[in-house]
Amino acid sequence: MKSSVRNALIAVGLAAAATLAAPVAQAQSYSVWLVENSRFMNVPYGAFMPDRVFVPGSTSKMNNINTVDLPVNVGVIKGTINGKMEVILADAGWKQQDYLKMTGSDHYSAVVDQLKLLGISADQVTKIIVGHGHWDHAGSLSDFPNAVLYIQKAELEGIEWAINYPHPRISATNVSPGGCARTPACGYPPKTLDEIYGKVLSAKAVIVDGEMDVLPGIKIHPAHHAHTAGSQLIEVRTGTSVGTLVFGSDVYSSWQGIRDWMMANPQSSADTAQQFLAYEKCYKLTGGYNNCISGHEPTSYTADYPITKNSWVGANGARLAEITLAPGESSKKK
Amino acid sequence: MQTEVSGSQRTARVAALKGFGFGALVVGLIALVAFAVFRENFKPAAPAVEANASFVGGLSLHAHEATALSPEEEAYAAALWPIHSEVKLAAVRMIFAGLAYKTEDHDAKKLRAKVQPLTQTFEAAGKRVAVIKSPASLQEAHKSYVEAVKLYSSATREMIKVADDGRDEHLIQAQQRSEQASLAILKLSDVLWPGEYKPN
Repeated sequence: MKSSVRNALIAVGLAAAATLAAPVAQAQSYSVWLVENSRFMNVPYGAFMPDRVFVPGSTSKMNNINTVDLPVNVGVIKGTINGKMEVILADAGWKQQDYLKMTGSDHYSAVVDQLKLLGISADQVTKIIVGHGHWDHAGSLSDFPNAVLYIQKAELEGIEWAINYPHPRISATNVSPGGCARTPACGYPPKTLDEIYGKVLSAKAVIVDGEMDVLPGIKIHPAHHAHTAGSQLIEVRTGTSVGTLVFGSDVYSSWQGIRDWMMANPQSSADTAQQFLAYEKCYKLTGGYNNCISGHEPTSYTADYPITKNSWVGANGARLAEITLAPGESSKKK
Repeated sequence: MQTEVSGSQRTARVAALKGFGFGALVVGLIALVAFAVFRENFKPAAPAVEANASFVGGLSLHAHEATALSPEEEAYAAALWPIHSEVKLAAVRMIFAGLAYKTEDHDAKKLRAKVQPLTQTFEAAGKRVAVIKSPASLQEAHKSYVEAVKLYSSATREMIKVADDGRDEHLIQAQQRSEQASLAILKLSDVLWPGEYKPN
């Protein structure tokens, strides 16, 4: 065979191979929604964000709001990897019947019910990445039997350290009736920890030590002591026009907090410097604050929090927001 | 079939088409404006929940509020609280003994050493709970709490069996009992100590 013919055939072969390989090389794309699991009503703003403490008579936008209603937000990420559908939850919310009165909640809708409005059943959830293990973020793990839990090793170590500390004011899961005084072990009722332990026993848990690539375009970043000892961020490169999202859970409980560089949701297990470093991480990964998804931002599902503005109201007044749709995914907005 | 058309006829036909097109455009625009005016004036009222789309300021009036306890219930809650605190801490320690066994050391002897004292804690707590006098309104809840402490105690005894035969089945059974007990105490907590777990 003449060399020119051979070269031409090689060129054609390479071109054909490149064409076949093109779908594999394409960026992975994900559809993303935010769903409201419930709303904590009438929370004093200053208790949530000290810089926003209410000053009676103040005309400042920073200090003229007395109480806020805080949604419990759960991220839903859906994509197809090698022909298999993956549904990943960023946090898992909680179950109303366990804490009905003590939380002063309203607009409760179980995460499984919110998912149904997106056409997703509980058994289709493949992964749950909890930002941390508090009851309102890891409180419905057992509703998702097939899902693998991702939790930081440091989160479990932090709780274990606290409960074994020799002084009861540190080791207490709660200090006094009627108030969680935010001891390091506060916020982890036995029921929630039983659910985490249940995932471990059923071989459905990954104990993450630092960073981890979970799926193409989805990566865990540690944010230790930004809220709890083993908090973590979830980076989602959506492959769509919205670009990269970072779910912060309670590392940035408030989107206004990350926008205005104010700390939110103070905890004894948190270090303000670590919280701000985690804010910076989201800025670096997403190019700003708009794509940082907060766990309890009061303006969620409204135009005041632009990434969540494409929203609608589901059962019991609990809201949903369509953040982005992967090619081929139809809108679920009602 | 082809038709011959002269230059002047073609010009006249183009002018007529242009006139027709312009007229259609004007009619279309008028229809659009009329539709917009109609839609604005006769739009159905938005549902109340949408009208109140910004929830800042605690405007909703439907939050679940805790009801005040009677003096007898308050006394019961006060007597139960110190025991409840010990029970919760012991329950969490039991869970972490299991977690450490599964995720860190796989040392059944260590597991037994951690869990055995918790059996005594739960048994002692159970005896203390049993002698608290519960008001009539909380008798069922009280019974449920007593049962929950027994379940925890039983869970510890089941866990320890791993040291005998190394079978994880004991841990699974123990976890199921523990979770059942945890749910029961949480339900009573919701009545007695409504602020026990704050939003965080």
